Amino acid sequence: MSPLQFTQIQRRIAELDRIPTVPALLMPLLKFLGQPAEDVDVNRMVGLIAHDKSLSAQCLQMANSPLFGMRQRVDSVRGAVIAVGIRRVREMATTCCLVRALPRPGGGIRPDSLWRHSLGCALASRHLATKIGFKDPEQAYLGGLLHDVGLIVELTLFPKEFDAAFRMAAEQGRILTEAEREILGTDHSVIGSVLADKWSLPPEMKEVIRFHHDLENSCKNRTLVSIVHLSDLLCRFRGLGYGYAEFRQLDLTDEPSWQYIAEDLPQVRNFDLARFTLEMDDCLEEIEQLVTSLFNIQ
Amino acid sequence: MSSIGTTTPNQPLPRPDAALNSPPSQQLLDIRDLIYQVAGILQPDHRIRFLEERCQKRMKVLGFTRLGEYYDHLTKGASRTAEMTELLNEITIGETCFFRNLPQIEALKKVVLPAIVENKKRLPFSKVRIWSAGCSTGEEAYTLAILLLEEKAGLLKNLNFEILATDLNERSLEKARAAVYGDYAIRNLTPYFRQKYFNPSGNSLAVKDEVKSVIQFSRLNLRDDARMTFMKSMDIIFCCNVMIYFDAAVRTKVVQHYYNNLLPGSYLFLGHSESLYGINQAFRLVHFPGATAYFKPAPVVGGVK
Repeated sequence: MSPLQFTQIQRRIAELDRIPTVPALLMPLLKFLGQPAEDVDVNRMVGLIAHDKSLSAQCLQMANSPLFGMRQRVDSVRGAVIAVGIRRVREMATTCCLVRALPRPGGGIRPDSLWRHSLGCALASRHLATKIGFKDPEQAYLGGLLHDVGLIVELTLFPKEFDAAFRMAAEQGRILTEAEREILGTDHSVIGSVLADKWSLPPEMKEVIRFHHDLENSCKNRTLVSIVHLSDLLCRFRGLGYGYAEFRQLDLTDEPSWQYIAEDLPQVRNFDLARFTLEMDDCLEEIEQLVTSLFNIQ
Repeated sequence: MSSIGTTTPNQPLPRPDAALNSPPSQQLLDIRDLIYQVAGILQPDHRIRFLEERCQKRMKVLGFTRLGEYYDHLTKGASRTAEMTELLNEITIGETCFFRNLPQIEALKKVVLPAIVENKKRLPFSKVRIWSAGCSTGEEAYTLAILLLEEKAGLLKNLNFEILATDLNERSLEKARAAVYGDYAIRNLTPYFRQKYFNPSGNSLAVKDEVKSVIQFSRLNLRDDARMTFMKSMDIIFCCNVMIYFDAAVRTKVVQHYYNNLLPGSYLFLGHSESLYGINQAFRLVHFPGATAYFKPAPVVGGVK
């Protein structure tokens, strides 16, 4: 299969409206995401979520997962806001909305693998951000969650080409972006950035999506992009990848992202990566269960 | 705070085993941290109940009823060092069998061995040397031997290889040399491997001579500095659940020996939940799918990197 021509890509991205299930709720939710937590109109946000029965059911499923652990069981969206705060509920609602944006029959990649990866990366990014003293762990969560939205576009607009790229990567245990560049002539970070513009995502999220495989060209929020990049790698090496193993040797402290973080937050040099890795494994089962139940509610 | 997300365990619905699922007590978490500090072994959240059970087993022996008492005993008691060893014994007991850690074996086959073979091609001495340090009853060493034999005609063609397996305990070594294994040890063996590398021996399986010939067993105390310096030119060292028996100072020393024993561009594998954090900075933690190892980098050719 020959690489797509640039004009082809442009033409098809112009058809982005065809992305089937951009849930109506995602847009207003994303607006909330752009605001500082204290400015969010809680009543409006809760109303918005509660109005959609299956979305609120999914949110509660998440709220009651040990991953977002609360001391008591919550049975309403409002209760969740009281128990964990507006930031967490905003994270959960966005997560659930995004799960629906995925076209069900995937080209090669399994939708549940993709969501396990995204959720795992979101949780790992937040955890890493907290541990190394990054100022905004919620932003790290959302960056981890959204970093691969470009894959959704590829699955929708270029299913045949993406399928070929995915199969090649999986069969050879290669890095997915390399295979995408070879077959599609571009990769999900470039394609995702078009979607990010269309969805008017906050600028930090756009930067994560666009540059998580091209860190040196990220400028304003390089630490954030680097946190997501490291979490992405770690997920792919700890059973939360795209459903296949990349057989190579990975030294995270050798990655440019590690160096970028260290420039901003020197304390990362003392970070216990071995322990962090084992802690990630604690979440595997919970993530598995949560993603399965989110799919069941849809 | 230890797990990703939040640690507070949460039970949505009351279950019959609710008591088991209540949040772990602070003392238990303190014991977990103590073990990590003292032995470099982390009992992650999903093993915390297991840790509690093991503590309770020890408490029963000692006649304690509260975890707090046991924690004090572990930290302030006169026999705290000995007690820590007892507890660590409980935690790591019975973990050995053939092909125990599959992601580690895959990493070995697909990444580590090819990298080492690539290095060997540039050198006149072409022998791959693997050391199973603290080999216990030999399951790990024989697993490695089988792996190497499988690659004999492929990756390792025209290369010699050998495995050194050492342990402090003479009784373990006797069992290892006898090489007859029961159900528990062989539970992960595929029929292919059973047939190819083992002979039936009553209800057990006996390792074939071809496999035995790859390994040299000998007694070695890892604290014996003089002998440790003689373990030279290693390509891979396996040292799983052994370092737990040493305090931080001895561990630092043993790991430094390993570093010196290894050739540039070689690997140290530890037990699943062990880490070298705070023990050694020269080794680099590297990841393979589902497995980690510590890597001794080759010096950078051509000066500054």
